[in-house]
Amino acid sequence: MGASDRGAPQRSEERSVNQPRRHEAIRKVGVIGAGVMGAGIAAHCANAGVPVVLLDIVPGGAARAVETMLRADPAPFMQRSAARLVTPGNLETDLGLLADCDWICEAIVERLDAKRDLYAKLDAVREPGSIVSSNTSTIPLATLVEGAAREFAESFLITHFFNPPRYMRLLEVVQGPATRADAVATISEFADRRLGKTVIPCKDRPGFIANRIGGLWMQSAINHAFDMGLSVEEADAAMGRPIGVPKTGVFGLLDLVGIDLMPHVAASMKATLPADDAYVLGLREHPLIMRLIKEGRTGRKGGKGGFYTRTRDAEGKTIRRAIDLATGEDRPEARVALESLELRDLRQVAEHPDRGGRYVRAVLLETLSYAASLVPEIADDVASVDAAMRLGYNWRWGPFELIDRLGASWLAAALREAGRPVPRLIEQVGEGSFYRVQDGRLQYFGTDGAWRDVPRGEGVLLLSDVKRAGKPLARNAGASLWDVGDGVACLEFHTKMNALDPDVLAMIGRAIAMGKKGAFKALVIHNEGENFSVGANIGLALFAANIAAWGEIEGMIEGGQKAMHALRAAPFPVVGAPSGMALGGGCEVLLHCDAVQAHAESYIGLVEVGVGLIPGWGGCTAMLRRWSENPRAPKGPMPPVAKAFEMISTAQVAKSAFEAREMLILRPTDGITMNRDRLLADAKAKALSMVEDYRPAEPKTLRLPGPTGHAALSMAVQQQAAMGRVTPHDVVVCDHLATTLTGGPRADHTEEMTEDQVLTLERQSFMALLKTSGTLARVEHMLETGRPLRN
Amino acid sequence: MPGYTAPLRDMRFLLNEFVDPARLRSLPGCEEMTPDLIDPILDEAGKLCSEVLFPLNRSGDEEGCTIENGVVRTPKGFPEAYRMYCEGGWASLACDPAYGGQGLPKSVAMLFEEMMCSANLAFGMYPGLSHGAYAALSKHGTQELRDRYLPKLVTGEWSGTMCLTEPQCGTDLGLIRTRAVPADDGTYRITGNKIFISAGEHDLTSNILHLVLAKLPDAPPGTRGISLFLVPKFLPTEDGRPGARNGVVCTALEHKMGIKASATCAMSFDDAVGWLVGQPHRGLAAMFTMMNEARLGVGVQGLGLAEVSYQNAVAYAKDRLQGRALGGAQHPDKPADPIIVHPDVRRMLLTMRAQTEGCRALALWTALEQDVALRHPDAAEREAADDFVQLITPVVKAYLTDMGWDSTAIGMQVLGGHGYIREWGMEQYVRDARIAQIYEGTNGIQALDLVGRKMGQHAGRYLRRFFHPVLAYIEARSETPAMEEFILPLSKAFGRLQSATAEVARRGMGDPFEAGAAATDYLRLFGLTALAYCWARMAEAALAKGDGEEAAFYRAKLTTARFFMQRILPQTGALSAQIMAGGAVLREMEEAAF
Repeated sequence: MGASDRGAPQRSEERSVNQPRRHEAIRKVGVIGAGVMGAGIAAHCANAGVPVVLLDIVPGGAARAVETMLRADPAPFMQRSAARLVTPGNLETDLGLLADCDWICEAIVERLDAKRDLYAKLDAVREPGSIVSSNTSTIPLATLVEGAAREFAESFLITHFFNPPRYMRLLEVVQGPATRADAVATISEFADRRLGKTVIPCKDRPGFIANRIGGLWMQSAINHAFDMGLSVEEADAAMGRPIGVPKTGVFGLLDLVGIDLMPHVAASMKATLPADDAYVLGLREHPLIMRLIKEGRTGRKGGKGGFYTRTRDAEGKTIRRAIDLATGEDRPEARVALESLELRDLRQVAEHPDRGGRYVRAVLLETLSYAASLVPEIADDVASVDAAMRLGYNWRWGPFELIDRLGASWLAAALREAGRPVPRLIEQVGEGSFYRVQDGRLQYFGTDGAWRDVPRGEGVLLLSDVKRAGKPLARNAGASLWDVGDGVACLEFHTKMNALDPDVLAMIGRAIAMGKKGAFKALVIHNEGENFSVGANIGLALFAANIAAWGEIEGMIEGGQKAMHALRAAPFPVVGAPSGMALGGGCEVLLHCDAVQAHAESYIGLVEVGVGLIPGWGGCTAMLRRWSENPRAPKGPMPPVAKAFEMISTAQVAKSAFEAREMLILRPTDGITMNRDRLLADAKAKALSMVEDYRPAEPKTLRLPGPTGHAALSMAVQQQAAMGRVTPHDVVVCDHLATTLTGGPRADHTEEMTEDQVLTLERQSFMALLKTSGTLARVEHMLETGRPLRN
Repeated sequence: MPGYTAPLRDMRFLLNEFVDPARLRSLPGCEEMTPDLIDPILDEAGKLCSEVLFPLNRSGDEEGCTIENGVVRTPKGFPEAYRMYCEGGWASLACDPAYGGQGLPKSVAMLFEEMMCSANLAFGMYPGLSHGAYAALSKHGTQELRDRYLPKLVTGEWSGTMCLTEPQCGTDLGLIRTRAVPADDGTYRITGNKIFISAGEHDLTSNILHLVLAKLPDAPPGTRGISLFLVPKFLPTEDGRPGARNGVVCTALEHKMGIKASATCAMSFDDAVGWLVGQPHRGLAAMFTMMNEARLGVGVQGLGLAEVSYQNAVAYAKDRLQGRALGGAQHPDKPADPIIVHPDVRRMLLTMRAQTEGCRALALWTALEQDVALRHPDAAEREAADDFVQLITPVVKAYLTDMGWDSTAIGMQVLGGHGYIREWGMEQYVRDARIAQIYEGTNGIQALDLVGRKMGQHAGRYLRRFFHPVLAYIEARSETPAMEEFILPLSKAFGRLQSATAEVARRGMGDPFEAGAAATDYLRLFGLTALAYCWARMAEAALAKGDGEEAAFYRAKLTTARFFMQRILPQTGALSAQIMAGGAVLREMEEAAF
């Protein structure tokens, strides 16, 4: 009896109810309109492995869009081969390609007549029962389906993606009164599980949730900046850290999305919202902004800059300038020095008398009271609004979370003081808050005054929920161990940027020891930080190097190697579940897990050479092992060495989990999860599936080429150096890397080397490099600027 | 009566044997710095100090400065001595030849400074302040300001001040109230009160240039809103003579414990005309460039006083006949043995000597690195040297001035009751030494500067410039038997400093209170280790000379080195234990219980 038999009952159960999983009902997608949004949506469906037809009105337009996307950065495709799933075509001649599409997504120009014309054409070719959606951001659904056939209206909904579709996690979904419930469910589930989106149901109101509130916020932030005499730098800084908006703030965001977009958005909102809506009342044409648009200074994409400009002087130094809102003249960018913005507590910021504090207060009063006045008009609950703002505008906190930070009663008092109406919802909350934790569950305040759990999709398991509900199995300053149910533990890193330091290594050791004693039967390594881990704490290493504490550093390397070995040798399965960056030591952790379940948006690589080092926690050894075991790799001792050398010496980073698989950082058996919220559940399932009869991997021996291989690699590096492609210190680093990967001066491919021998070489090379001034300068530069030094 | 002779032999030893003389001569503008050139300068400096400045030291202390209707008079003989000082070209020693200076390196100028501090610290204050003003103006002033004022400072014709402190703000300069309002002609009008202004008003020069910290109307709050201004006592005329009186007056002189011949003034600025030096709101940064140099200079004050106190204590101990040696009479021909036969007197004298000579070595090493930081053609070399100077500045300031206080007190002790009365001059050194631990940033602030700013700067890069060469030195000599008695204690102290550094950095990151709690002990540990390194190198240089012509000098060096290693350096053990104990106990005491 094998594993497949044990898995069988579950599957037959599914079959017995004879209901295919809904997201599998979308087998092919059609996207119409190959603009930025349409093309991006098509690419992302291809990322999910679904064939896509992309049609454009311009002949050849769709094919060109695919070409452009293959060169774009950030890349819309998660791997180049995904582009092959996109069939480009022309709207006139290739409409027939849509006949077998289960979902057709329209993303053409925002003109009602054009959209209606298209829908009529679609109705002629599409399969009955297929779903049609529009990516409109401005036209109400009711208007779009006015006069359409009943079956069309039943199959129609709005799916509003955010730019760029691959990266922005929000999908606003609007259904009409006629829309079939199963159409909504099918698309929602497809978007959730296959596209990795968080689906927020919205009402059929202009701008839906995110753009309605986000648009008013931008307008308010711009108006007040002009009125209160703030500089653009001050306004953006005020919006940044205190409020939790990305650091582009408001003027930086306008530069990013295009200043010329403003009047279009304003016009459409004005046309669709009632005249007494705060959004319409606050609409203003600022002469300076109109002038910028007229001059074609519409932001970053136009090349002429916008509120901020960056040019280079004769010596190639970047000159940063910003526009003076009062005079309209360009002047050098200035550092912001406002006492209010140094404060940590949001309420203190909003109460501070300087212009930063007054500005924050004014924008918050307007934005938050507007948001509060719109529930339930635009969404059923506050949790949806907050999620939309976090995921669609990348705000750190949604408006109701911001209100909780200020205090709802404080906001009410401040509104009254300013002579503004207090929205009913805020009155209703009174002295209370919009969120609370009850019995370990996060709950929100409903419009009916009742508390409800913040909804989680079926099968979603969030570490933050686990943490809210209980105490860790173990904890230190750098990491914690949590029980995530069914005998699975989760090791969470929580240092700054999840850098790996002695605390984290100690917790790995502790977790392994607890697992050996039977505290759990499988371990998942996962966290909900922005990044899985940016690697070893090089700040600590640099400081130790600066005081010549070489013994301590060698101890750190050895400790890391031991921890990695312990992960691999543990008598229970260990599954790594990364999302975001997993670099250097973070990547090495994954390389030593028995399996990996990666979020599709994982950026993994061994980047040590960027700081003048080589992987020292078994990363070199692991990549040699991966390439030696790869059945498709050419035979002989050199190919694995050359492959590992190429990847490590260029600090190559996979830009998605799919690319990581191509680089053998992930194995073919490792899983990829599109939706970040489902990552932990998938990883847990993977871990549990490995528990029965688990046997840890045996150490392997390696055959390495020794000095002849080293000579070959050195020659290649010399050639690159002669062409000016590598720097002098690159040559030094590559030499140590080559020594390690080829097995050192005494290696010979006829003899087998143990992994321990190669690990010793890793350590020696690491220590030798850390003693060079070139490496110390690189580490310091990386710590201080976040960019590699090319010395 | 006390005496003073410049320690020229030791200075030559440091310049030619302790540091690598080739390092100085490899710097642009220093190619000619051979003993043939330097020795006569030091000889002459020594003469000026013992023959002109030293005789005014006691009388200056007795007489002090006086003020009458805003006019300040220095003690008798000071104006004449100052004239001789200027005429001898001593004011221009280390100044830029472009402005009439002689362009001598800091490593030579520093030795002259030490002599002045030994001979007459209060006198030395006047040119010392001019030096700070010279440094700030030459680095941050516009071309116009430099052309107009620097030549006057270089000749010593005009002097300078640093006006930072106000009644409500000393250490925390963010609290400054003095205002600067822009005038239509590009100048500013300065209004406010300053206190503790050394050389703020006096009768030595025809004009005084005040460098004043003040706030512009649009200044951001705190230290990021301070600007630096030049405010001359007399507005210069077109042909560079002192013209109209500016709105700045001395309102009072402070009555102090020591340096009584130095005029410490309360200054009042009333709509005084000033020129901006450097960028608006960046005044503190500009001031810090001269403050760093000034801090090194204050360290040298401690050194100079320790030296003169030592010389007089030795003279007394050899001369004073009292009792007999513990093991029996050593000078049976005399009514009693000189007290120098006693182990405890020897302990005191050797402590003074080992500390003084060690500190002189550290100060010279620092001065040489300053020269490298200023003059080396390679940017990386300049950076490395500047890193070292940044790191060691608080150590030099605090360690040398603490040492100056300790040593002058020991010197007084050697003289017993005669040390305590004025006639012998020993108590003046104690009083004069005390201020050096306080001004230019108290020694507590220096310790905070070391652990709070210098230690973590660039992830510890400054530290590298000390730890790497010292470890390399230790490792290179670990197999040299003759050096063992010096290398072993050095290596032990180095290990303690390493562990303490790692520990203070680690704790301080989580809790700044911990860093603050360790700061003073840590600085002392650092200073002792730095001195141990200097002593090991001095011992090595002395060993190399063997039985040459001046065998006695080198034998004494080796003995002093041994004394330092055996009888002073072990303090690092106690300091290390104090540091590792942490700051909890400092926090524990309730405020009300104090």
